[in-house]
Amino acid sequence: MALSESEVRHVAMLARLALSETQVETLRVELNSILGHIDTIQQLDLADVPPTAHAIPVVNETRPDVPRPGLSREAALLNAPEKEAGAFLIPQMTGGGDES
Amino acid sequence: MSKDRLLEVLERWEPVIGLEIHTELTSTRTKMFCGCEVAFGGEPNTRVCPVCLGMPGALPVPNQYAIEQTVLAGLATECTIAPHSLFHRKQYFYPDMPKDYQISQYDQPFCEDGQILVEVDGGGVAQRLDVADGTGVTPAEDGSYTARIGITRIHLEEDTGKMVHVGGSEGRLAGATKSLVDFNRAGTPLIELVSEPDIRTPEEARRFAQKLRLIWLSLGISDCSMEEGSMRVDGNISLRKRGTVEFGVKAEVKNMNSFKSLHDALVYEILRQAELLDSGGTVVQETRHWDVGAKRTSALRSKEAAHDYRYFPEPDMTPFEFSEEFIDGIRQRLPELPDAKKIRFMATWGLPVHDATVLTSDLEMAEFFEAAVTIGGAERAKPIANLMLNDLAAHLNAAGISVTASKVVPAMVDELVALVEEGTISGKQAKDVFTEMAETGDAPGAIVEIRGLKQVSDTGAIEAVVDRIIAENPDKVEGYRSGRTGLMGFFVGQVMREMGGQANPAVVNEVLGRRLSS
Repeated sequence: MALSESEVRHVAMLARLALSETQVETLRVELNSILGHIDTIQQLDLADVPPTAHAIPVVNETRPDVPRPGLSREAALLNAPEKEAGAFLIPQMTGGGDES
Repeated sequence: MSKDRLLEVLERWEPVIGLEIHTELTSTRTKMFCGCEVAFGGEPNTRVCPVCLGMPGALPVPNQYAIEQTVLAGLATECTIAPHSLFHRKQYFYPDMPKDYQISQYDQPFCEDGQILVEVDGGGVAQRLDVADGTGVTPAEDGSYTARIGITRIHLEEDTGKMVHVGGSEGRLAGATKSLVDFNRAGTPLIELVSEPDIRTPEEARRFAQKLRLIWLSLGISDCSMEEGSMRVDGNISLRKRGTVEFGVKAEVKNMNSFKSLHDALVYEILRQAELLDSGGTVVQETRHWDVGAKRTSALRSKEAAHDYRYFPEPDMTPFEFSEEFIDGIRQRLPELPDAKKIRFMATWGLPVHDATVLTSDLEMAEFFEAAVTIGGAERAKPIANLMLNDLAAHLNAAGISVTASKVVPAMVDELVALVEEGTISGKQAKDVFTEMAETGDAPGAIVEIRGLKQVSDTGAIEAVVDRIIAENPDKVEGYRSGRTGLMGFFVGQVMREMGGQANPAVVNEVLGRRLSS
């Protein structure tokens, strides 16, 4: 399984990364090297091994439904490039959203 | 409007509809993955922290109670609760979601394979052309039918923040130059229920959503306010030639902010898609927005690339393993559900199916009814139900309030029914007393006293008036005795007028019948 140049560009687009031509080639080589490790693993017989979501055998970690203080609005907006009326001010949006 | 056109289209085309219903778990005190409080509105960005603002290094920890509420929702809709489950990250970019991924569930949600039974009666039955076939639906003798709608899954995720678009009209994106983002809502626990494409008519879709809302309200997991957006319904709809099996191309409809919008938007889509298909065109798979003012759907700007959410297991959280003991413990919390309550109202209080259905379709009305019959006893159940379904319902409707906001309390309804039952006031007087007690909140007995509304049941007093009327109208008496029995109405009217409308009609009829026939 090898990643093509166009697949690298697609993944970069999904991650909203602007890559230079050099970077595309560098990443293609690096990503293929990572996929090479996965190819090695796939040579094993893993039929009886369930997918591992987490490296440590711990389950059901939750917290009680008890409120805790958060940030003040001033602190929350401190690093916002622009703000207005207590809200984050952002440029005009086109498309997308409403995903949930 | 398009009712006849709809039925004509339905002869040829069968709609296939599935719903996706998002509900905020407004019953939790805190958000899904952090300790910020869950509430509606408020000053922007006052219930936020590093976790729900998506700041690097913050550690989200799942809310135990929200998970339990989701399992409860699954049990109430006959889902299987997954023994193994976990959260996934769903990657996409939008400024109302600061992490650039939403923590959601993917291939191992908490709940799967449930069902809801949906009853359709009244005018909406006509939309379902195959009721008589008995295929897929169970017809009832009164013309209504019940459809079983499958539930694919219920998963738990986090809600997004809210955006207000500035510079456009009415907060809409079109024409906006800037947007304000408020993250108070971001991270609110949100359950998404996905139905099977088992729904065949707009009316079934509406009933399904209403039934689901009633179940959620019974569980107390959410306030289910469609106006405030704590319950949001999206629909997928396609048409197929009647009699065929394969699904057509579907459109997704969003922004249906009321049950009426849900119904009307689906009717619109059926007509739109049928027109396309009838003229040899094809339906484009796209997301469409319901414009409630214009009563039409329109395509949203399509996205440059198809969705590629790159789901992967959320590495910040451990997976979940639910034991039988845990699931049984949640099952113990199940309250009486709407279907069971309806059956009990019929069995315990002897109500006909219609009364039981209407009373149990509103939790507050059902509670009110039970409080009233608990005072008055089962023999008063039917007159209490009648008064609630007629006078009380009309009053609440006119005043635009819920029963808990009304001045009428259960004891007053029972007392009013008792006054009629004992013959103290007539049914007609009861209507006036009800109007006054709904306005003032005074007890019906007191209103009857003060207004001097007491019905006269004293046979002697009524006989005196009857005798005088008979004496004053010899010709009418002659007429009656010679067979013109319709004149009884004249005599009753005379007596009632003479007595200021306060005579007990049953006694008047009895006395008149006795005197006139002798």
